[in-house]
Amino acid sequence: MKSYAVRRYLLDGFTMALFVGVALSLALSPTEQQLLNLPRLAWIFFGSVLWGAVVSYFLNKNKIKTLGEKLFEPEYEKGKSEAKPLLTTFWGWQLLITILVLFIVGVYKTKFSIDELLNEDGFIGAKRLFAGIFAPNWDVLPRAVLNIIETIFMAFMATFLAIPFAFVLSFMAAKNIMKGSFAFVIYMTIRTVLNVTRSVEALIWAIIFSVWVGIGPFAGMLALMIHSIASLTKQYSEMVETVNQGPIESVQSCGATNLQIIWYAIVPQVLLPYISFTVYRWDINVRMATIIGLVGRRNWNNVDQISRPGHVAGSWNNHRRHRTCRLGYGSGIRLYQRGT
Amino acid sequence: MSDPILKIKNLVKTYPNGVSALKGVTFDVKKGEFLVIIGLSGSGKSTLLRCLNRLHDPSSGEVLFLDPETQKYTDTLKFDSNSGIRLLRKKMGMIFQHYNLIPRHTVLMNVLMGRLGSTSTFKSLLGLFSPADKTEAFKYLNLVGISEKAYVRADQLSGGQQQRVAIARALAQQPQILLADEPVASLDPVTSHTVMEYLRKVNEELGITIICSLHFVSLVRQYATRVIALKAGEIVYEGDPKNVNDAWFEKIYGQGAKEIHTK
Repeated sequence: MKSYAVRRYLLDGFTMALFVGVALSLALSPTEQQLLNLPRLAWIFFGSVLWGAVVSYFLNKNKIKTLGEKLFEPEYEKGKSEAKPLLTTFWGWQLLITILVLFIVGVYKTKFSIDELLNEDGFIGAKRLFAGIFAPNWDVLPRAVLNIIETIFMAFMATFLAIPFAFVLSFMAAKNIMKGSFAFVIYMTIRTVLNVTRSVEALIWAIIFSVWVGIGPFAGMLALMIHSIASLTKQYSEMVETVNQGPIESVQSCGATNLQIIWYAIVPQVLLPYISFTVYRWDINVRMATIIGLVGRRNWNNVDQISRPGHVAGSWNNHRRHRTCRLGYGSGIRLYQRGT
Repeated sequence: MSDPILKIKNLVKTYPNGVSALKGVTFDVKKGEFLVIIGLSGSGKSTLLRCLNRLHDPSSGEVLFLDPETQKYTDTLKFDSNSGIRLLRKKMGMIFQHYNLIPRHTVLMNVLMGRLGSTSTFKSLLGLFSPADKTEAFKYLNLVGISEKAYVRADQLSGGQQQRVAIARALAQQPQILLADEPVASLDPVTSHTVMEYLRKVNEELGITIICSLHFVSLVRQYATRVIALKAGEIVYEGDPKNVNDAWFEKIYGQGAKEIHTK
C-alpha cells in the first residue's frame, strides 16, 4: 500500500472516530464511571477509525474525494481533477463539519464561559495582580541582577552547547538527504527520539538532571540543552529540506562525495536561517530558565524525596543540602512579589 | 573517423509517477563534436543529459563511455557504487540553465568546486585546495574572460557572467565531455551569443566534446556540428544542422510553430 493511502485512511478514520464519539456521548450520555473504562473506549475508538478507513476506501473507489484523499493525494494526481466550489464537494463538507464539531466539543471541554470572563470581581483581582508587575519591590534588585546574569548565561550555555549536536543531527533528520532504505531507518529513529525528547517538558528534564548533577544552574542548563538540541534539530532539518536543488546538482556533477555536497551546496544555503533560529532559541531559553529556576527552588526538597526513596534518602539529602545553590531561578518573579 | 566517445543504446527513463521521459533513445557521440539536442519543453532533453552523468538513474538501456586511457568502453549504467559514479562525473562537466553557482561563495571558490572530485573529503571540508588547483582555476577563469572577478561573491554577477563562471567550474574538472542543459535559456540574445561563443572556444581550443540542449534553432544552425531532435522521448531527427528547415521545424515543434530568430 502506498504511504499516502495510509495517511488518507488515518485522517478519514480519525474524523469518523470524532463523529462516532460525539454521537455516542450525545445518545447515551455516559457517566464518568463508564468513561473511565479505557479498554472499552479504545475498542470504540479504533473500531470507528477502522470503520472510517473502510468508508474512505469505498468513497474514493467510487470517485468521491474524501478530505484525506484531498490532503494527501500525490502531486501528479492533483492535476487530473478539476477545481470545484468547496460546498459542492464531499471533502469540503467533511472539512467544515469536522471543524464545527471540533469547535463545539472544544467549547464544552474547556468550559468556555463568557460569564466568567466578564465577572467584575474576578477582573479586579486580575487587575491587582497585573498592577503588581509595575510596582516592583526594588529591595531585591541587587540580588535579582545577579540572578538575571546567571539566567542569561545558563540560557547561553544551553544554546551554545546544543549547536554542534543539532548541526550534525539536522542533516540526518532531513528527508531529502536520507535517501535509501538504511538511511531512512536512521532518519526515522532520529526523528522519533527527538520527538520524544521534545515532548518531555523541560521541567522534567531539570528534575532528572538535578538528581544526576545536583540542584543548581548546571542541572537547569543541561535540561535546556537537551530541549534545545531537539528543537533546533527539527527547525534546522526543515530548512535543509527546503534548500534549492540546483547547487546540489551542480556540486554533484563535479563528482563530489556526499559530505562535500552537504558542506558546499547545502550549508551555505541554510547558514543564515540557522543563525536566526539559534538566536531565537537563546531567547526562548532565557524565558524557560526563569520558570525552571522558580520550580527548582520551591520544590527542591520534594525532588530529593521523590527521586531517592528509602534509606538512601537521608544521607543523600544531607550531602546535597550543603550545596545550597539554585537552578538559576527567575529573577523577574521576585520583583513583583510586593504587588501581590 | 575515430570511435565514438559515447554510445547510447535504447536508453529508457520512466519516473516513479509513471511519466516516461525517454522511450528508447539510441545515438552515438563522436569525439570532439558540438552536439546539440533540440526539442520542446518536456521532450526529455534534460532527462537525457542527466542520465548520461547519472544525476538521474535510467530505467534501462546502455551508455557506453570510451575511457581515454584504456581505449575501452565501460557501461556506465553498471556502476552501482558511489565511487564509480563519481569517477564518471569527474569526466563529464555540466552547466545548467540556472547556472547553479553557490551564491554566497566567491567566484574562485565556485570554480574550485570543479576540483572537489579530485580533492580528498577531509582537505576539501577545510577548504585546503592545492596551489596547483588555484592556478588551474585562474587559467579557466582567464579562458572565459572573467578572472578579474575572482574574489567577488557569485551572486553579485550578471546572468551571463555567472554562466561563464559555471563553464570555468566545469572545465576545472578537466572533463572529456561538457554537458550543457539549456545554457542560454535564461539569457538575453546578445549574452546568449557570448556564452555560446565561449562554448565553441572550449570545443575548438580544448577539444572537449560538447552535448548541449537548446531552444533556438537559429543558435543551433550557428554553433552545432550535429543535431538531434527529441519529441516526447524519442529521436525524430538526427543529422546536419543546416538541413533543419521549416518542414523539419514543424515536425519537431508541431504544426503551425513559428521560429524565433535571434541575431
